[in-house]
Amino acid sequence: MPLFGELFISEILGKPILDPAGDELGTIKDVVLVKGEPLPKLDALIISRRKDSFRIPWESMNLFNKRIISTTQDLKNAAPYDMDGEEDLLALRDILDKQIVDANGAKVVRVNDIKLEGYRTDAVLTAVDVGMRGILRRMGLERKGESLLKFFRVKLPSHLISWNYMQPIQPKLSTIGLTVSRQMVEELHPADLADLLSQVSPVEGLEFIQNLDPETAAEAISELEIDTQATIIKDMSAEAAAGIIEEMSPDAAADLINELPSDLASELLKQIEDEDAEDIQELLGHESDTAGGLMTTEYISYPPGMTVAEAMLRFKKDAPEIESVYYVYIIDEEERLVGVLSLKDMLLSESATTLGSIMETNIKSVRPEADEMEVAAVISKYDLFALPVVDCDTCLIGIITVDDILDLLLPKQARKKRRSV
Amino acid sequence: MSKRWKRMLFFLSVMGPGIITANIDNDAAGITTYSVAGARFGYSLLWTLIPTTVALVVVQEMVARMGVVTGKGLSDLIRENYGVRATFYMMLGLFVANFGTTVAEFAGLAASMEIFGMSKYIVVPTGAAAIWLLVTKGSYVTVERVLLFACLLYFGYIVSGFMSGPDWSEVAKGTLVPSMSKDPEYLLLSIAIIGTTITPWMQFYLQSSIAEKGLRKSQYKIARLDVITGCFLTDIIAFFIIVACAATLFPRGIRINEASEAAVALAPLAGKYAALMFGLALANASLLGAIIVPLATAYYICEAMGWERGVNKSFNQAPEFMWIYTFMIVAGSVIILVPGAPLVMLMLMSSVINGLLLPFVLVYALSLVNNQKIMGEYTNPRAYNIISWATVTAIIVLTAGIIVTTLLPALQAR
Repeated sequence: MPLFGELFISEILGKPILDPAGDELGTIKDVVLVKGEPLPKLDALIISRRKDSFRIPWESMNLFNKRIISTTQDLKNAAPYDMDGEEDLLALRDILDKQIVDANGAKVVRVNDIKLEGYRTDAVLTAVDVGMRGILRRMGLERKGESLLKFFRVKLPSHLISWNYMQPIQPKLSTIGLTVSRQMVEELHPADLADLLSQVSPVEGLEFIQNLDPETAAEAISELEIDTQATIIKDMSAEAAAGIIEEMSPDAAADLINELPSDLASELLKQIEDEDAEDIQELLGHESDTAGGLMTTEYISYPPGMTVAEAMLRFKKDAPEIESVYYVYIIDEEERLVGVLSLKDMLLSESATTLGSIMETNIKSVRPEADEMEVAAVISKYDLFALPVVDCDTCLIGIITVDDILDLLLPKQARKKRRSV
Repeated sequence: MSKRWKRMLFFLSVMGPGIITANIDNDAAGITTYSVAGARFGYSLLWTLIPTTVALVVVQEMVARMGVVTGKGLSDLIRENYGVRATFYMMLGLFVANFGTTVAEFAGLAASMEIFGMSKYIVVPTGAAAIWLLVTKGSYVTVERVLLFACLLYFGYIVSGFMSGPDWSEVAKGTLVPSMSKDPEYLLLSIAIIGTTITPWMQFYLQSSIAEKGLRKSQYKIARLDVITGCFLTDIIAFFIIVACAATLFPRGIRINEASEAAVALAPLAGKYAALMFGLALANASLLGAIIVPLATAYYICEAMGWERGVNKSFNQAPEFMWIYTFMIVAGSVIILVPGAPLVMLMLMSSVINGLLLPFVLVYALSLVNNQKIMGEYTNPRAYNIISWATVTAIIVLTAGIIVTTLLPALQAR
């Protein structure tokens, strides 16, 4: 029996359900939802009769609307239902009143009501109500609220979010396939993700992170305060943690590892791919508030004899791995920094010229032990996007990008790092 | 940013949530009750602090345990397990009761600063504006330092207690030997001491601040120690307030109705500095309460209802949060300044609503803490459950007493 039009879950919960003879079979206690194409659909009603629960399948529905709900089934052949034992997804128990991520608005909201609509022969879940209207409806005050506001000439706004835009926090809800929304969450800016993480409980936050792909998770974690990052990593399996740390930029990874207890840190370093682990270990040797601690070992460097054409070809291969590229550094055979070239200058030069002939040789650089304020001063004075760090033989050992130092240059209120999961 | 601020609210990095909660528990209303009790009945009410401490420990330990195990606030858990209706009415009640508390804090601030000769027409508006600006525009670090410093000022009461020169053998007798009196005022004050110590919003505050700290189950023992220490600290401060008033005001038969009167009355008896200390600590407690109560209320309500929250959000981004927060501060301070405003009526209503809310909060808390799905192996052990149900029942009966005694005179007057 199809559902005509639409109704809200709160309109049927607690309602009586009638058997073919017109007698009351029980009252509706919850609703079982299952995965469906394209949206999750209603699979069965859970009804309660005295202290027992029964499962009434959707196929046996006779009438299903907000006034009358009747079934072709009678009590004799209704299947008993164990509320605690079954692994089903229940609308009231698992979705209503829970926090959920609205991927479209990048915020955490609470589900006040669930909207069902008829689709062919099914009742499908199309949207959740997160607004005031949903709260009033749950309390049985929707009409009253509406007329009260009418008196003030204000319309009671509807705030529905399409199920497509929702991302459940707990994995229990993810038994319904949510490919669309998952993708949407991963397209959110990492800073927005971190903001979302900061609004849910630590347990939920951890599950949320574990459901992301390692790359997105790494970006989101990097946006959190360092002690919060450490708390999250400590709660993860070493394998999962290593997977995420590998995806972080080496300087962020080193800061994080520095924050962990030493036995966990060394275990993680063992799990991390050798190449990444080496980079991180190199950075671990420096104090975190010096140039060495701030720098990353990911940068582009080419010999002076290379032509622009060759460099552009190489660049296409090298650059995707690197977080941000503003300059190409020119180093000689002993890895000494001899020049620097902005990407713009390289792109605008004739393809046959060598890098050595167009590079800037008046290089601003700092030593690894330089204080972070000194680094900030140099970057700010010369309007640089990145500053090379060189050792005593002027060999290039890393660069500091402007975003790593930005927090120092901004007034305190404008800093963006978030605490807690 | 929002989380930073939320943490500021629970400024935990240095002190534990339990100890902080304890400090804020002794707000303007609490100090008033203790002062009046000491002045009216001397040391003879001191013994009530012992059962009060036991009840406080039992209740707050459970709430703290829930915070550690679930990582969620109490309003969160109530919403997720008991639905919209229960949550909505509870939050509505909490809003009204806490508004009354906020008014009491501003009243305490006004009264204590009048001791120092400052007009309330200057103190209250400046105080309210400063709080609003400090919280919405100030830097996190500054506020945290201000609040931590404010917590230290509570020791002023301990100092006043010693300076008032009490007879310690009498103090010990009053504390350890329970006495009873048929005087209705005596009964009322002994109930009021429990009522002002165990309040609904305190439970929400403690659980959120523990959840906020992100403590793990393995750290539960530390959290418990912190909470128990805090409970003792609350009542130690209360103890010294009662002692200070009992040693000085009681023998001379000075009756007071407000904590600020106690400060004034102390000056000729215990010395100018004891009085100053007392007044300053009262101003400080009121200010601390006026910062925390509105902010905390706005957070629980918005968390429970699923509204956007955070002090760094604009009125457009988080309208409900900002309006609740701003309303409490603005209306709370304006009421103090309007001549003839029904202040007493408002306080009565606030304490009645608190009394009505408390049973629900405690019963919800008890059934949540015994819910295996939520608490796993951390539910109450059987024996402990008997103690906690007995405590909760006792508190409920006593608060019912508060409601009856508050309402009766009002009804008889008609």
